[in-house]
Amino acid sequence: MTLFDELVAVTDPERVTDRPFDLHLHSADAGLRTGEATVVVFAETTEEVCDVVRLAARHGVPLVARGAGTGLAAGAVPTEGGIVLTLTRMNTISDIDPVNRTAWVGPGVINLDLSRATAPFDLHFAPDPSSQQACTIGGNIANNSGGPHCLSEGSTVNHILAIEMVMADGEVVILGGAAPDPIGLDLRGVVVGSEGTLGIVIRALVKLTPDPPEVRTMLCAFPTVEGAAAAVSGIIAAGVVPAALEMMDQGMLVAVENWLHAGFPTESAAALIAEVHCAPEAADAEVDVIREVAEQEGATEVRVARDEAERALIWKGRKSAFGAIAQTAPNYYLHDTVVPRTRLVETISEMYRIADDADLTMMNVFHAGDGNLHPLIAFDATEPGMADKVHAAADEMVAACVARGGVLSGEHGIGAEKRDLMGTVFTELDLDAQARLKHVFDPDRVLNPRKILPAGSRCFDYGGSPLPEGTWI
Amino acid sequence: MTVSTQVHRPESIDDLALVLRDHSDRERSLAVMGGGTHRWMGYPVATDAVVDTSGLAGVRVFEPDDLTVVVGAGTRIGDLESELAAGGKTAVLPETDHDATVGGVIASGASGYRRARFGPTRDRVLEVTAVTGDGRAIRSGGRVVKNVTGYDLPRLYTGSFGSLGVIESVCFKLWPVPERTVTVTVDDPERVRSEVHRPMAFLDVSGAHRVMLGGTGRAVDAEVSQLGGEVVEGLDWPTRPRHGVRVEVRVPPSHLPTVVSRLNGDYISQIEVGIVETTVETATDVLALRADVEALGGAILVEGGHEVDPWGTPPPTLDLQRRIIAEFDPHRIIEPGRLPGGI
Repeated sequence: MTLFDELVAVTDPERVTDRPFDLHLHSADAGLRTGEATVVVFAETTEEVCDVVRLAARHGVPLVARGAGTGLAAGAVPTEGGIVLTLTRMNTISDIDPVNRTAWVGPGVINLDLSRATAPFDLHFAPDPSSQQACTIGGNIANNSGGPHCLSEGSTVNHILAIEMVMADGEVVILGGAAPDPIGLDLRGVVVGSEGTLGIVIRALVKLTPDPPEVRTMLCAFPTVEGAAAAVSGIIAAGVVPAALEMMDQGMLVAVENWLHAGFPTESAAALIAEVHCAPEAADAEVDVIREVAEQEGATEVRVARDEAERALIWKGRKSAFGAIAQTAPNYYLHDTVVPRTRLVETISEMYRIADDADLTMMNVFHAGDGNLHPLIAFDATEPGMADKVHAAADEMVAACVARGGVLSGEHGIGAEKRDLMGTVFTELDLDAQARLKHVFDPDRVLNPRKILPAGSRCFDYGGSPLPEGTWI
Repeated sequence: MTVSTQVHRPESIDDLALVLRDHSDRERSLAVMGGGTHRWMGYPVATDAVVDTSGLAGVRVFEPDDLTVVVGAGTRIGDLESELAAGGKTAVLPETDHDATVGGVIASGASGYRRARFGPTRDRVLEVTAVTGDGRAIRSGGRVVKNVTGYDLPRLYTGSFGSLGVIESVCFKLWPVPERTVTVTVDDPERVRSEVHRPMAFLDVSGAHRVMLGGTGRAVDAEVSQLGGEVVEGLDWPTRPRHGVRVEVRVPPSHLPTVVSRLNGDYISQIEVGIVETTVETATDVLALRADVEALGGAILVEGGHEVDPWGTPPPTLDLQRRIIAEFDPHRIIEPGRLPGGI
């Protein structure tokens, strides 16, 4: 039997496809890099996932797990061909436990749907990527996704208590548990963010966060990016960690306002969105601190959303920012890097310089409180040579971040996009340690090969030289 | 741990790497000694030598505005928190174990009572630099508060009890110290759940309920007036029960009332977290409770060296854990056999 026939035999003819359109659709994510899927399978049960993993291993074919495909770093792109295993149909939410504030969730559950399902209990899932209307919990786990509210609540890993996972040999394990600090090594913690390279997550026990009794959302306009960045540091220095602290630069404010007409301050160089979550009296106190710091740093306007509608509009502007770019140019390249918060201003200035030098249009909308930058280059991919120019500028921007003590990615992942840059932040020995971990989980390199770690990461003898491309990872 | 003849006190990561490479080559085992605070946890280990981490002490980089600090593993957490407090920050480390070291807290995965609000320590370990059992100095994570660059080895090191290497330094994510903190002894614990949004800590201390609140002065005033009860300024942490064999129960939090109803001695129960610290006269006293707690997916840790297994039933992924450890400590020389399952 061919691989295709065997896949049909363990699943369902309706859920295995190699039609060119389906292959094309599942060979890309929301980023620019594409691959070539050999076959796409839609799994519905644990047994099916186990069988598909075993078939991939037996045929020596790469297996790439996929959720909604909203990733930006090509983590779910089949760059080496092989099986794309789509998990969106494993979308059950069960055992919502309002006392322990937990629920068991399938990898295909959409992030926002989880918070909707738990809303009757005044609970929500804290990680809220901008793509939360589409992205899945499985993808959030794979990339350790963040979102604006990570500032106070932390990324996905802080909200995953246990993981049920199919290992590379088709066996099912449960990592972590409902009780705090399960004994032994914290394998749950290292699987989160592993981009489908250590196993296929088929269920997760998530931690739910109590809804805040009071939410205040503020929009502060600044005449300079420096002023806005100084306010971010000032707010934290004043002892307040808001639930979210986001920055949009002028280019982004104009793009969003042209589309949304929500009264974003398009005359300003930058705007901060600050949100506090607390008891009503505490909210007033924190709003006052933020207002005071913002005005001290030169804010020309400090607006507090008067009602839920105004609040929702501000967030719509923030979370739809990338969509609003469509009116500027047909394509965009969105980056994700982190620098220490105090290096924000100089890093942003350097990014504008890089974009200007390359004659590219760049805008910024980012998680300022975390120092997590999202420079966005808007361009037209049909222009000859443009894609190379964009990639070169983006690589230069990453280098600028690394030079300031930053890292390659805060929440989007490394995937295929940044694996070759890993050597700019880690030594050969550091990468070798990570490769050893991968080797234990997936010795035959079936699960999402050639992601995260660059070729030759494993040095068998740490005095020796790395192995050539293809020998490892 | 038995008394070992040889004590190494490395003063740099290179010193540490030399010690480990040498011991690995000769297959001689090592214990790692910081403050000795967590020595009660896990199987007692007899080793050929000891690494004393006190030469790896000190704050290396404190960036208050970035909310990060890089600190040597041998630093006492009491010293670290004092230095951070002078800059208005905290690493939210265990509140009452001042003599514990940073390395010991991370290796044992210990958290303080404020995890109720700020999460466990492992959520704040941004970067770990360690030397593996065979002497390789490796760094993982990064000095920024949000990072997905590579596998999250810092989390794997947290709670690894030396099995992946000796921790040399750590970068923590910090929190601002609130303007005002109070400890309220409440008569009706139910009111805490309904009236307070996410307290810093919420403890049942042998039947007396204390809640710790923090924030701006106005906010704390408002919460206190909603809540009622006796108010003390500052964070009034309880003293851990001392007499007898040390025990720690970990359960899904909804099971705490059942657990504490079955205890005889004094206890500190972390409500909404699911951890109870207590002591028992003889270790075998916990066996009946352990069976029930394990059935609920929890665990009971018992001080090592008594007639009861210190960890209880090991996790089902023991073989996987053993294989990971073999990649980091091939001759299994650092605290061999201390982890659950005796690995």
